[in-house]
Amino acid sequence: MADNGQVKTVFTTGEVAKICKVSQQTVIRCFDSGRLHGFRVPGSRFRRIPREALITFMKSNQIPMDHLETGKKRVLVVDDDEAVVEMFNELLERDGRFDVRTASTGYDAGIMTEQFRPDVLLLDFKLPDINGNVVCRTIRSNPNYQHMQIIIISGVADPDEVAELKAAGADEFIRKPFDINAVINRIAEMMKVG
Amino acid sequence: MTVGIQRTASSQAPARERVELILGQLDQLPTLPTMVACLLAIAGSDDSSARDLVRIIEPDPSLTACILRMVRRPDLGVRSQGMTVARAVSLLGIRAVRNAALSTQFFETLSARGGDESATARRRELWKHSLAVGCAAELIAERTSDPATAGEAFVCGLLHDIGKIALDTCLPKSYARVLERSEHRPVCVCDLEREILGLDHTSAGKRLVTRWRLGQAIVESVWLHHQDPDALPSTIAFAHQVRIVHLADALIRRTGIGASGSNHVTDIESAALTLGVDRAALAEIIERVPERLKPLQEALGLDDADDNASYLESLSEANRRLGQSNTQLTESNRTLKLRSDCFEALTAFTTQLTEHDRIADVCAAAADLLCSLLHIDHALAFVRTPERLCLYVGASDKTGAASRTAILECGIADFAEAKTNGNVIPAPESCDALWQQTIGSPAESPLWLLPFHTEAAAGGVLFVADDDVVDPLRSAQAECVSLSTAIGQAVSSAATRVVGEKTAEELLDLNRRLHTAQKQLVRMRSISMIAQMAAGAAHELNNPLAVISGRAQMELTKCEDPERRREFEIIVEQARRASGIVSDLMVFAKPDAPRPVVQSLAEVLESACQHWQSVSSLGPDRLILTQRDADSSVYCDGDQLREILHAVFANALEATDHAARCIQINSPSRASDKTVRIVVEDNGVGMTPDVLEHCLDPFFSSRPAGRGRGLGLSRAYRLAEINGGSLWLESKPQLGTTVTIELPARAPTA
Repeated sequence: MADNGQVKTVFTTGEVAKICKVSQQTVIRCFDSGRLHGFRVPGSRFRRIPREALITFMKSNQIPMDHLETGKKRVLVVDDDEAVVEMFNELLERDGRFDVRTASTGYDAGIMTEQFRPDVLLLDFKLPDINGNVVCRTIRSNPNYQHMQIIIISGVADPDEVAELKAAGADEFIRKPFDINAVINRIAEMMKVG
Repeated sequence: MTVGIQRTASSQAPARERVELILGQLDQLPTLPTMVACLLAIAGSDDSSARDLVRIIEPDPSLTACILRMVRRPDLGVRSQGMTVARAVSLLGIRAVRNAALSTQFFETLSARGGDESATARRRELWKHSLAVGCAAELIAERTSDPATAGEAFVCGLLHDIGKIALDTCLPKSYARVLERSEHRPVCVCDLEREILGLDHTSAGKRLVTRWRLGQAIVESVWLHHQDPDALPSTIAFAHQVRIVHLADALIRRTGIGASGSNHVTDIESAALTLGVDRAALAEIIERVPERLKPLQEALGLDDADDNASYLESLSEANRRLGQSNTQLTESNRTLKLRSDCFEALTAFTTQLTEHDRIADVCAAAADLLCSLLHIDHALAFVRTPERLCLYVGASDKTGAASRTAILECGIADFAEAKTNGNVIPAPESCDALWQQTIGSPAESPLWLLPFHTEAAAGGVLFVADDDVVDPLRSAQAECVSLSTAIGQAVSSAATRVVGEKTAEELLDLNRRLHTAQKQLVRMRSISMIAQMAAGAAHELNNPLAVISGRAQMELTKCEDPERRREFEIIVEQARRASGIVSDLMVFAKPDAPRPVVQSLAEVLESACQHWQSVSSLGPDRLILTQRDADSSVYCDGDQLREILHAVFANALEATDHAARCIQINSPSRASDKTVRIVVEDNGVGMTPDVLEHCLDPFFSSRPAGRGRGLGLSRAYRLAEINGGSLWLESKPQLGTTVTIELPARAPTA
């Protein structure tokens, strides 16, 4: 996955095969029969498919879009307070740069992390089942999630606890209540999203 | 009522208690003169024994007189003039003289107590009987055993009825009744004694001779002489002597010499046979008793016969005695004078003392006592208590007593040798220094010491006096003992009181500390409860606050209408404020650990003042900073110190809401070089004692409810506390409040 912050606009047949979970031969066949629109690279025989053509093709053939890079950063919000979760959801969706999923327990957070592979985890320190520092440590111990940014959001800001969370692998600590613009800017800055 | 009961109880006292009473009285009988032991030790009949005997008797004038009386008999044809003890011994024989001397010792020991005429007569008869039994026992012993033990047999016989004499001496009236009832009746006196007194003379006598340590043979013959000689227990070591005394007693009673009080019939013949004495020997013994008895009776003055010569002699003797007693009277007059002086002085001493006197006061009184007793100018008393080396010195001169406590280094150790009470001794040399140091001039006459010694303290009274002043006191040992005992006890009770007071003070201090610790504990508990509560509240409250604030901010971004925008801004602001209250509470309960550094107090205060002048519009004439010690340092967390100062200043500012307000900030000279103080003084409304007591409680505010957060001063107090300092307030309503902050001046040295 390209993480340079740029959304891919043109795909090779290999890339399309990967996104659509079919063989490269099938992609070439669809391209050659005209069901998948595209062009050949001038001066060579290489096939190229623009992003819009790919989306049209996937939609008309009911292929799941999950593996198509959306360009948005995935954010998982974990908090047991529904009002807080809802507010974050609305706030981040409205911004438009983020794909948001939510969880209200540590257990849910684990499952969602595995499925959704978030870029940023917004984590309440005090969860009903486990505390934020345990979540941090579990995530950091898995090499697949090394790149994930973890932001702890908590109403209690005991300096000792904050230090412990940082040691457990948290990247940032934000106190509730907070300035919403500051939080969004911080998230975007951490992921270098335009 | 009570008295009546007691009287009945005593008259009906059980026999056992009466016996105890009698035994107690027996124990009070005089002890034997040491001479008795020496006389008993003379057993032989050689020249050295004779010399010993003379040496024992000669120093005692009354004993010498007795012995000489023995030889002043017409039939011996000698007169008392020119007679010596040595000649009397050679004339009468060692044993006779020894027996006479022993008899007089016992006689004198037990006839010291008076009694009426009949009692005197009764005792004379008893003594005659006893002497006769002694002689008879000696005669029997000479025939039946080793002649060397004959002397012992005499003593056994002589003392066999000592119990009767003792009982008669202790209970003359009861014993007269015993003898009255035994008269002309063939009963053993022992039975009557037990019936009337609860104790017979054999037991009483045994107790007495045991106490006198006269040896087992005498003890047993005194105790068992009324037993059937054939029925003596096998454990008896000196059965032979017991049988001799038994026989002798029976013989003499039959002969009728003296009166023993016992009239029961004893089988003399069988008793004699048991000892191997036949009828003829018995007759001879009876015949020879009077010749031995006579000189003894004379020696003791028990002889009835009296002639003209001895009458004259007794006249001159009486004259001599009169002269002697005159001298004694003068002597005892002097003694009595001293005794009464002592008594007076002691009375003055004890009246002078109160129960609050310190050891030094007692010393002064003791010195005073010696001054007034001996009519001398200076005396001083000193005491050293076991736990203190410090000497208490009280000195007195004619103008009166003065006490003081002095720590003196001179070696009073030497004086340890005078640990016994009751002797005026020449003061050890080390006392000279003490005297000079206290009185101010060296002693001009000899320095004397009356030491006293108790368990609690040791000490002495020092005084200067000429020999002729001290001598009467030195020779009056009893008076010296009373003086030193009285002083010693007074000192000892003062010392005990000092210890008691110290203990009480320590207890009080301990109590106070316990109380403080308790208050502190209550405070710590409430603080930790606040911390717990604040942590919970922070979590619970901050979530909704985050939503309120977040939603308002979201609305704010969508909203263009300035009026609505303003409303959303207020919501955001108030949410932040609510959250701030929770945070303050958290910080109060669980403040950040201070990061103390050494900094200049002057700089901190100056910059704080500048800040306040700018925020409060108080000019330099209304906000006065005085720094006494420009280079003072303070060791604490810089931010927290600023917070403390800010809270205290805010409080002062709030209290002085009038035109003439004035706030003074001082850093006075250091009370100690370990701490610095900052004093903030305002002339504001002040606080009532009730407010003052609670002003450091969190959320306490004297203002109407709902205004302000009221964490200011308690926060300042808490921060001072965690920085190793403290903070306290003094206040008077309408006059103003003074807050004092005390902080460490430098880092603690590890």
